[in-house]
Amino acid sequence: MDDLLAARATMAFSLGFHIVFASIGMTMPFMMCAAHWRYLRKKDPVYLELTKMWMKGVAILFAVGAVSGTVLAFELGLLWPGFMKHAGAIIGMPFSWEGTAFFLEAIAIGLFLYGWNRMHPWVHWGTGLLVGVSGFASGIFVVAANAWMNAPAGFDWVDGAALNVDPVAAMFNRAWLPQSLHMQIAALQAVGLAVAGIHAWLLLRGKAPDLNRKALRIAMVFGATASLLQPFAGHFAGTRVAELQPAKMAAIEGLFETRSRAPLTLGGLPDPETRTMKWGVEVPGMLSFLAHGDPAAEVIGLDRFPREDWPPVLITHVAFQIMVGIGTLLAIVGVLWFWFARRGEGPRWYLWTLVACAPLGMVAIEAGWVVTEVGRQPWIIQGIMRTKDAVTPVPGMVYHFYLFLVLYLALAAATTWLLLRQIRTVQKKFGG
Amino acid sequence: MVEILVFFIGASLLLYVVLGGSDFGAGIIELLPAGPLRDAQKEVINRAMGPVWEANHMWLILVVVILFTGFPAIFTTVMIALHGPMLALLVGIIVRGVAFSFRHYDAVQEERTQRIYTWLFGLSSLWTSLWLGIIAASLNRGIIDPTARDFWAAYVAPWWGLYPLSVGVLVTCIYAFLAAIYLVGETKDPVLHRRFLRLAIVFNVLVILAGGLVFLASLGEQQSLAVAFARRPLNMAVMALATLLFVVLWFLVTKRRSLLARVVAAGQMALIPFGWYLLYAPDAVLTASGPLSFQDAAAPPATLRLLIIALVVGSLFIFPSLFYLLRVFKLRGTLPGRGS
Repeated sequence: MDDLLAARATMAFSLGFHIVFASIGMTMPFMMCAAHWRYLRKKDPVYLELTKMWMKGVAILFAVGAVSGTVLAFELGLLWPGFMKHAGAIIGMPFSWEGTAFFLEAIAIGLFLYGWNRMHPWVHWGTGLLVGVSGFASGIFVVAANAWMNAPAGFDWVDGAALNVDPVAAMFNRAWLPQSLHMQIAALQAVGLAVAGIHAWLLLRGKAPDLNRKALRIAMVFGATASLLQPFAGHFAGTRVAELQPAKMAAIEGLFETRSRAPLTLGGLPDPETRTMKWGVEVPGMLSFLAHGDPAAEVIGLDRFPREDWPPVLITHVAFQIMVGIGTLLAIVGVLWFWFARRGEGPRWYLWTLVACAPLGMVAIEAGWVVTEVGRQPWIIQGIMRTKDAVTPVPGMVYHFYLFLVLYLALAAATTWLLLRQIRTVQKKFGG
Repeated sequence: MVEILVFFIGASLLLYVVLGGSDFGAGIIELLPAGPLRDAQKEVINRAMGPVWEANHMWLILVVVILFTGFPAIFTTVMIALHGPMLALLVGIIVRGVAFSFRHYDAVQEERTQRIYTWLFGLSSLWTSLWLGIIAASLNRGIIDPTARDFWAAYVAPWWGLYPLSVGVLVTCIYAFLAAIYLVGETKDPVLHRRFLRLAIVFNVLVILAGGLVFLASLGEQQSLAVAFARRPLNMAVMALATLLFVVLWFLVTKRRSLLARVVAAGQMALIPFGWYLLYAPDAVLTASGPLSFQDAAAPPATLRLLIIALVVGSLFIFPSLFYLLRVFKLRGTLPGRGS
């Protein structure tokens, strides 16, 4: 593994790790607040128990999210100094707002976790809500910074330097809205369904039915609603990619030749050597329609770009197929929920479906980030700076990668073990 | 505008040393043998540090964000030359961040795992504060060389040597001292109170000794601290004030004015990095090819202006909530509380 690849692998791994915990940290507090609100209104002790159970989960996962987020702030400089030297001043603004929101979140979580019986119950509830709101805001800011890498704005690039820097224009670049909308809904969806899946499983095992039923209903309000909204947000993001990053779009679809009435290929494996797509099912004109709203429209293919500017086509295409496949499945699961939710929580097979879907939202998030990041290659700033020109000159990056690999795998194992212990303890308390 | 941002960096760093320092120190104190007091001590530390744990660490993130937004050249220079120490620092930050939270939130509180968490928390606190000192000391040695091609000269020499290590030891002692003074006011148990008091005395002596060690070690540097101090008499005054405050501090401790004692100890320990900064101001980093000042490294004015706005608006949110946090947990009894 050369230094560039090692640096990219380290970044991918650190981000892929952090994104799970960040997603949980910015959405789970809302579920916790919903349970807490119900307790305060109805005084049903089961909701109190549920609030505290989720709170402990949030506390553990927030701690992991906070440290892995700190690591990323450092890694921007440790891995990509060539990027930060120019980008820092341009996209620092969303980062400084993100820092503020993150700070507020950290204060609020201290208040909420330790504040039981120390403040007015509704003020206490409000601190829990603040955890969610500030976490959600910090997610939007960070994604806005990433969107700038896809749709650079707010500067003039003259002889390898940024002039006329306008941080406001940089922050509100063309990709910030579709990307953050897509990501924030994905977080609600993935976390809602993951939590619902866990409680569905406990329910199927006959454990603490009252608690788990209430938990399932709250989690699914978030998970199912987000699943229904996501296809629209995803479509919005997709059309913006077609407009701003045609090479990424072509890689996503494995479209080697520019053509009108471009088909949408379901599945399939693109081969960049022979410039063909193997084993895909083609829906005629669909890609043209989805990308440009007209089945006859021309869609730019990879042939319009020099070979060295192609993103890795196979990875981008497959990751996109995984994401969209899961998104479609989860949208169906979401629709079914609104059908079943009127009478309890649905039949057993539906609960089993929820169990099976529990990890899928997170898988889709990871796949989506692969599409965004790999699909932008070889650029770190689309059309402006190549990733290889941004990497640190420090040699031996592969050891940096191995160190984080071991550290994060151990951390993931410890966190999973801790959460399982948590779930088992609560269920035991409720019998069954 | 640069001055305003330098002020924010300085203020965040001082708050990180003073507020975050005491939770680093708490970990270091937990490494020391405590005999039968071990569990009671852990309880006090959990209660004292838990509510402010996450917030204490945000100061460091704030410093990083201000640096890479406002002064990208400083950020990248440091992150390249000090890649190794930064990596070491991150490992420490990860381990202690999770060890402390896991210890508190593990659903099954059993002897064996609790010991592992405590041990990890303590060791990583010691490790991280050592590297923080090493990194701080490396900034102004004049060895960082962005043009160096040789591995040793480019990536090891900047932080290698007795002087950075001695600063690491000083930081560790400062943190443990701050924690001991802080914990003195956190317990009503007379035995534990006496233990923290004794630890405060020990670490007070160690801070002075480590300070002396830093002075001695600096004799081997390009510019020794003695020379640097002689050149800027204002620093002498700052250091003299820091030393004199020990007298005030111990007077307050013996009078059991724990809140005031904390403030004095915090002020005293803040004077040390402040005095150190004054030695080199307005330069941020001293490289082999000359100083890199905040002014030289500053981002375009539009960026600086917006960064200041973000920091000022952010402060309007952060400081009241932080004050509320401290009021709820640290000034108990003054709050018209509800419930039990």
